[in-house]
Amino acid sequence: MDEYSIPVPVKPPAEIESLYLPVPPWLEEKSKEGDELVLFVGPQHGGSGHMRLIVRVHGDVIREVIPDPGFVHRGVEKLAENKLYIQNIPLVERPAIMDCINMSLGYVRAIEKALDIEVPERAKYIRTMLAEVCRIGTHLYDAGILSVFLGHTTGFMWPFALRELTCEILMRVSGARITASYVVPGGVRRDVDRGTLNFISDAMTYIQQKSKDFEKVFIRNPVTIARMKDVGVLSRKEAIKYGVVGPFLRASGVEYDVRAVEPYDAYDELTWDVIVADDGDSYSRFLVRVNEIQQSIGIVRQCVKALKDMPEGKIAVDTKGKMLDSVKGTFFRTFGRLTLPAGEFTTLTEASRGTLLYTIVSDGKSNAPYRLRVVTPGWYYLKGFMESLKGCRLADLQAVYGSFGYFPPEADR
Amino acid sequence: MLSYLLEMFRQNSVGIPLITRKVVLYHTANKIAYIPPLTSLFAKIPILNLIVALIFWKPFFAVLFAPGLVCILIAILFIIWFERKVTARVQWRYGPLEVSRNVGGIIQPMADGMRYFFQEVIVHREAHKPYFLQFPLITFLPVLLPILVIPAGTIYAINTPYSILVAIALISLIPMIIVAIGWASNSKYAYVGSLREAMMYFSYEIVLMIAAMSMVIIYGSANAIEIVKEQSTIPGILLNPFAALAFFVAIAMATSRFPFEIPEADQEVVFGPFIEYTGIIFGVVMTLAYEKLYLLCMLFSILFLGGWNGPFIPPLGDLSPALWLFLKTIGLMMIFVFFRTFYARYRLDQALKIGWSKLMALAMVALITGLGLGAVNVMGWL
Repeated sequence: MDEYSIPVPVKPPAEIESLYLPVPPWLEEKSKEGDELVLFVGPQHGGSGHMRLIVRVHGDVIREVIPDPGFVHRGVEKLAENKLYIQNIPLVERPAIMDCINMSLGYVRAIEKALDIEVPERAKYIRTMLAEVCRIGTHLYDAGILSVFLGHTTGFMWPFALRELTCEILMRVSGARITASYVVPGGVRRDVDRGTLNFISDAMTYIQQKSKDFEKVFIRNPVTIARMKDVGVLSRKEAIKYGVVGPFLRASGVEYDVRAVEPYDAYDELTWDVIVADDGDSYSRFLVRVNEIQQSIGIVRQCVKALKDMPEGKIAVDTKGKMLDSVKGTFFRTFGRLTLPAGEFTTLTEASRGTLLYTIVSDGKSNAPYRLRVVTPGWYYLKGFMESLKGCRLADLQAVYGSFGYFPPEADR
Repeated sequence: MLSYLLEMFRQNSVGIPLITRKVVLYHTANKIAYIPPLTSLFAKIPILNLIVALIFWKPFFAVLFAPGLVCILIAILFIIWFERKVTARVQWRYGPLEVSRNVGGIIQPMADGMRYFFQEVIVHREAHKPYFLQFPLITFLPVLLPILVIPAGTIYAINTPYSILVAIALISLIPMIIVAIGWASNSKYAYVGSLREAMMYFSYEIVLMIAAMSMVIIYGSANAIEIVKEQSTIPGILLNPFAALAFFVAIAMATSRFPFEIPEADQEVVFGPFIEYTGIIFGVVMTLAYEKLYLLCMLFSILFLGGWNGPFIPPLGDLSPALWLFLKTIGLMMIFVFFRTFYARYRLDQALKIGWSKLMALAMVALITGLGLGAVNVMGWL
């Protein structure tokens, strides 16, 4: 192949070489001295997601993994500064769309904290129920991704088919399969009728039954166990040191769950267990989430029962604490031009993949946040994820990746 | 000269009564109308008769039709469709459907092949260009050469007492070419993939050979025709089930079926040695594993399942044993591709460990069984 050079009088700016190169130039040379291979995994790779992993491999053993995230950075924090408070609700859901209720719940609770309003009982239960439905959906999604990373395509299709039910629930309740924007300051957008509650109950039974098949074909599969047992181990100490959160922290033996430690919504009125494992390897990180699906199903069942006993209506309050049957008509009048009192309002939420932090800084005059800080669980446990890869085999990269359920859009925000 | 050739071809031609007999269309009191047989259609035309005779010449027919190229093509097209369809059924999906809806999308692989034909073939700058383009075509050599010595009933090219040994030796050339492809691609992922292929080669090859040898010892011959004749009463899988199991697992390893789909793991090394190929060349290298699967399944059915033994179908003549062999081979291939639905893939070191510990122990048991049965001359008793 002949190559022709075109004489263009413009030279590429120096930043292209200095900024856009994923690794410093000396890394490649240094690795050659150490008998290493530098592999660029991603962002266009079947097992990388929307990020680049720069892997230094010695033989078949990983020496170091350098993450290169930011390919799906959308600037949620900056965008939020230019929008009204309620316009930010759809925005903060975007990082993790399958986990929409949990994502918006943290933000909305920060607003409610600033306004100092108490949400009606019914709305609390509806929020809790849908947050758990989203948790089930997200855990199923991650289980599917983990399966296909290990090459198990049936384990990929079945959880995704089951996840369809959680989308259906969200659609019947809120009107949207994902990105529901259902949680609003003061309550929820609309009420859940009895037929939908029956459907949710049936769907939970179906998911519980079908996850037994999934357990047979994937979770107890000898090949799965061989691939994930004692792989990517994070000890209790390391997990705390590297700031791992959520199910992955609990898999290392730390019993920390925001839902139990600082209960919000209806969590303190329901009975459920915090799932903890001791091994801290890929398999226990996966099993913790599998068991959390069962706990979430229990929580949803309790919420459905409580909601059936409650009188319908009264699902929101306005800024002055007046009960509303529906937000229709009044919502934009009360919340559209909302101005928060000056101050800093922080909430912690247990999203599906771990602790989710929202901080709203308000100057007291503007109807948009002065600053919105979002720290998503993916960003918290990225360091732990990279550390656990050291000493693994190259093929374990995907097993560990899947076991963390790492979701780059969420981490990049 | 030509007449001598013609005579040589005709003396050793495939007899298929279905197309060499005259077919009576109708006959009334004084008229009989025939369809002239296909082979005698060109019998008097100078060059065409030679070509037709050549096509039906047994060695040529064996390599080109059954059990050779055409059978491989049919098997590959069917098995790729079957793999996608059965996986889809297990996974609550439809699978290939829209191309030829009435027959369940069975010509989908053909449509894919045509798509490959019209795609651009990209040769990247770093590739060793001549080798990069040559090796996919050279792969047909070790795929088609074993056909010369693997007979299908009376259709064979070379009748040799070493047929099984020669076939296995030629089949084990395929990994060499895959490693060479990885080298010619000159890419990091291709490098990792070729290394994986070479490692897998180490882990299964000896087991495969020992398993085949233990059967050869029992039958007292490495000639495939002799071996199948010996199995007319009792198939080899009952004589030495250990050898059958070891050979079976070794085939799964050799053809990178699940759970040993390690060199081409698309989530880890993105088709490994074949990562840089595009267009029709990718289509060619992708079928390589299936071609190898076809050959090894054929060997498995000859060694353990009684080869072409089966009820004789008179209209097919010489094709009847070839058909039985083909059906057994396809059945085995279907079992192998079905593993995709319920297995993940092992890691490279785990596969090596399995190959050198459990599988090797099994092969040793098979060899001892084979030696014992061979010593008491079990075939003579039967």
